[in-house]
Amino acid sequence: MLARRLLLYIVTAWVAITANFLLPRMMPGNPIQTLIGKITNTVTPEEIRAIRLSFGLGFHQGLVAQYFTYLTQLVHGNLGISITLGAPVSSILREAVPWTVGLIGLSTIFSFAIGTFGGALLGWTRGSRLDSLIPTATFFQAVPYFFLATVMLLLFGSDLHWFPVLGAYSPTVTQGWNLAYIESVIRYGELPLIAIVLSSLAGWMLGMRNMMITMIGEDFVLMAVAKGLPRRKVIWHAARNAILPSIANLSLAIGLVVSGALLVELVFNYPGVGDLLLQAVLNEDYPLIQGIFLVITLAVLAANFLADIVYLWLDPRTRTVAAV
Amino acid sequence: MIADPLKTQATSKMMDMQLREVAPASAHHEFVLEVNNFNVDYGVGENMVRAVNDVTLKLRRSQVLGVAGESGSGKSTLVYAMTRLLRAPGVISGGDVTLNITNDGDSDEVTPINLVTASEKELRQIRWSHVSIVLQSALNALNPVLRVGREFHEVLKTHRRELTKSQRHARSVELLKMVGLNEDRLARFPHELSGGQRQRIMIALALALDPELVIMDEPTTALDVVTQREIINELNELRSRYGFALIFITHDLSLLIELADEIVVMYAGAIIERAGASELYEAPRHPYTLGLINSFPPMHGDRRELTGIPGSPPDLAELPEGCSFAPRCPYAMARCLHEAPALLNIGDSDRSVACWLHTGDSSVTVPVELSRSSSPSRAHVTVLQDHT
Repeated sequence: MLARRLLLYIVTAWVAITANFLLPRMMPGNPIQTLIGKITNTVTPEEIRAIRLSFGLGFHQGLVAQYFTYLTQLVHGNLGISITLGAPVSSILREAVPWTVGLIGLSTIFSFAIGTFGGALLGWTRGSRLDSLIPTATFFQAVPYFFLATVMLLLFGSDLHWFPVLGAYSPTVTQGWNLAYIESVIRYGELPLIAIVLSSLAGWMLGMRNMMITMIGEDFVLMAVAKGLPRRKVIWHAARNAILPSIANLSLAIGLVVSGALLVELVFNYPGVGDLLLQAVLNEDYPLIQGIFLVITLAVLAANFLADIVYLWLDPRTRTVAAV
Repeated sequence: MIADPLKTQATSKMMDMQLREVAPASAHHEFVLEVNNFNVDYGVGENMVRAVNDVTLKLRRSQVLGVAGESGSGKSTLVYAMTRLLRAPGVISGGDVTLNITNDGDSDEVTPINLVTASEKELRQIRWSHVSIVLQSALNALNPVLRVGREFHEVLKTHRRELTKSQRHARSVELLKMVGLNEDRLARFPHELSGGQRQRIMIALALALDPELVIMDEPTTALDVVTQREIINELNELRSRYGFALIFITHDLSLLIELADEIVVMYAGAIIERAGASELYEAPRHPYTLGLINSFPPMHGDRRELTGIPGSPPDLAELPEGCSFAPRCPYAMARCLHEAPALLNIGDSDRSVACWLHTGDSSVTVPVELSRSSSPSRAHVTVLQDHT
């Protein structure tokens, strides 16, 4: 059952990798030409050949041979060399991915946890004064994110100095596993995190609240009351079922964590994948674009696989379907 | 009583402390439930609709009361409101409901609890230990993501805190056995069981704490006739063994004959006829009761033409003046359209009916089908034979 799904994911990953290989080769333009175009001096054919060779493009291979070379390199973790940065793509990604996963991942988890918990509570106490939280949360989601983030940055960062701004850590501390650095990373992450949570809370909250209201109308919740269970257990009966659609949405959200929130990283000058992707696209840095796409694709697949497993565990009804 | 170590000192002490203060023990031990002039509305103010109208009934210990009526007759609303499970916009607008709960092991001493005024805390203690409920669809009544065993453990854990995990398991197995299910069902999820198994589990669950009163809201309606038959037989057996009182709601009168000691028939939120089960079935007095009987094939006996009742249940928001059944009644007289009949005893018998045909007025000719005399029920005899 699980093995079948795993197989499906492996096939999907292979298709994605192949597309990732083919797409840039089908696009017009040539990264070497772009690079040469940037060089103001005259370029001799020998120099062009040297450039091609240094990026591993000097060998004239057929498409199929190129494909197998690509796959072999991939297995060895070699994603090529970034044209603009001149460093191996894999090491560039190794630098950028943790920042994005840390910031966006944590924000998503916080947003999900707070929104779902709040939504369950709002659903249970529907019609009470707590309902006024909904328009407040919806407001923050409706405001364009870069506007909200910029206002927060200016107000709480530049003016009030409650939070440090620009970058992911203080430039005065040394990077590494020391307390000062970790503390600085946390401090610098706070404001972007709050901004993301604020702007994405409403979705989780409304979804959970509405499911909760639906569940409260179900017979098994009435039964929980009839059984004389304490209120928190009755709420648990409803929430345990209401959370299922939110879990499905969470898997989609987690998949997108790696792609980064471009706007967040731009506004807060955060060194993540989103920022990197923008630079790569602007400079037509194909190896880097390819590398980033690959990581995003694999992350989405991995997140979905994980969500599938969690969902199987949470909802026993999904376990029997595939057995047919 | 179920031979169990479950109703132990700890629980009874808890009940003593919490509930005795509410009302002193009195001598109402004949009846387990007394409902007086009970009214239930949906909504308030102008849009208010009266769903249960001035219902009075009493249920003796270990008796089975059948509540019959079409959809929308208020039968479910009545029992949900009685047990305070009715959801908004349903409101109890009058009357009272007294549950006389027995203190453990001492059936002479009872504590009356007014369910209408009871606090949430009191209700939580009464619920399931003294009144349990079985709903129409067991699939919806069981939490779809929990194993069946969890439901048993949860109830036992909440109300019998002194039990260890293995004692709870033993009790769950015992309960499943009572309804003829193997203990391996405990590890199943609701969707892995058949409709009949699910409903048996609900019944076992309802009996888990040995309550005085079990309420069943159309428990067999969603099942096929064979399973329905089996469950009714099992219920009869369980009831004679454990002596709980039962309120059984259904629209199928022929089913009630098999089970009930007494039947009340509801129409438009009010009781329109009340009689012993076989009396009511053999010799209905209200034209509506007769219509209900003719709407279902009998479980035993000769084949009979099914006629049904013309028209549809009335809109509770616009009840007709006079008798609410008059527009559909083949025997309606001029008087029925203007004056509502009260539920009155017929002569000096124990049964009552709300119909102008039976007020003893000599100028009214009672149709022959509504004046039959009852004979000992053949149905009951057959049921008894089934078990010997």
